[in-house]
Amino acid sequence: MTLLWSELQAAVALIVDGNPTLWSVIGFTLQVVAIATGVAAIVGIPIGLTIGLGRFRARRVCQALANASLGLPPALVGTGLFLLFARPAPLGALELVFTRRAVFIAQSILALPYTVALTAAAVQGLAPGLLDQARRLGASRPQVFVLALREARVGVMAAIIAALGTALSEVAAIAIVGGNAYGYDQTLASATLFQVDAGNYADALAIAIVLVALILVLMCGAGVLQQRVGIRLRFAPSR
Amino acid sequence: MAYLWQQCSGGARLILHGDPIIFGLLWVTVRVALVSTAAAVAIGLPFGVVLGLGRFRGRRALQILANASLALPPVVVGVVVLLLLVPQGALGSLRIGFTLTAVYVVQTILALPYVVALTPAAIQGVAPGLLDQARALGAARLQLAVLALREARIGMVAAVIAALGAAVSEVGAVVIVGGNVVGHDQTLASSLLANFTYGDTDPHNAGIAIMLAILVIVLLGSLSLLAHRSGGIRLRFRGG
Repeated sequence: MTLLWSELQAAVALIVDGNPTLWSVIGFTLQVVAIATGVAAIVGIPIGLTIGLGRFRARRVCQALANASLGLPPALVGTGLFLLFARPAPLGALELVFTRRAVFIAQSILALPYTVALTAAAVQGLAPGLLDQARRLGASRPQVFVLALREARVGVMAAIIAALGTALSEVAAIAIVGGNAYGYDQTLASATLFQVDAGNYADALAIAIVLVALILVLMCGAGVLQQRVGIRLRFAPSR
Repeated sequence: MAYLWQQCSGGARLILHGDPIIFGLLWVTVRVALVSTAAAVAIGLPFGVVLGLGRFRGRRALQILANASLALPPVVVGVVVLLLLVPQGALGSLRIGFTLTAVYVVQTILALPYVVALTPAAIQGVAPGLLDQARALGAARLQLAVLALREARIGMVAAVIAALGAAVSEVGAVVIVGGNVVGHDQTLASSLLANFTYGDTDPHNAGIAIMLAILVIVLLGSLSLLAHRSGGIRLRFRGG
């Protein structure tokens, strides 16, 4: 236990001293999480609603694809993006490899399957009568979507929380396409990887502790929000 | 588009010609996935069943803890396990730091939350009357557990799929604990990480990525098919 303990003490000292690089890494991590979760929510929820509520032929296939994309290995996403963004590649002119923008893109793509697949699942879990009734009463398609979203909001929040978690802790894709450059495009998770490689165990542990703390804070915050939203749901039917 | 095509076709050709590097990585990946998933099921299943069926104080707290452990970042698990396993660490005398054994250990730890957290969820999804009836008819605890697992098997397969998926595609912990040594404890996914950090773009990377995609599709696809078959059909017969 001695080594872990002494490194832990050194790590806590590093956090308490307020290392400036640590703060910039935290800042960048929050930026990545906000952008990736935001993109995943804005793009993914409408797609999830369409798959969950739509009545088109390929709906089941789309849903199977969305579920399967949850198993997409991040390293594969990173490699795919690298091959697209590398200089001689189709999108090479954008010069995205080893930039912060590449990190934003990679984490957004990794977070997307969660919002799409889990929103679709949440919407399908709704009592079927409700939406049919709304349709029969002449609700337009956007109105049905809004109603479904409101009724399934606990599940949709769970989807957003899952997207958040991915954006926080995945490292493979951003290490590949972002290059994991010190002081530039490192998130807390990829900075941990970097510090271990460099043999700075105390720094790695310090960053890991901050990462766990951040996850606890964000997840608990989102969880509380989810419960709040859920309580309102319980009130609604009794009216 | 020529570049992308050249990379992908180059990678596919390497696989077709049985490139030893790619197939070596595949072999390590399959071993890591099977060993760590099997170990996670063996260790986690009893805990999951107790959490799902038990009626003791603190059950809910334990279940919340199990669910929360799903959000554990692999890099954090990797750092802690590494500091335990390095020669100066508490478990350093085991001499498994930077070996394939260490990779097995850390991937098992990462797969464990899926089994422990998803088993109770699956069991709690079983019609409650069924288990109560079995209890009332005097089923022993072990019999009850077997019954619950049999009824919840679709959920169980889902848990195994999740554990297997994590074992195949996670790299954060593997890289930290195993040291990502070529031809030794590198998996398909972790080798991609190592190669690209040097900015290298020979078709091997594309080949490894294609192989990883094939592995994920075959492994997880066949298991989900199994879940549909074994669960859905027999269950429907009994219900009818």
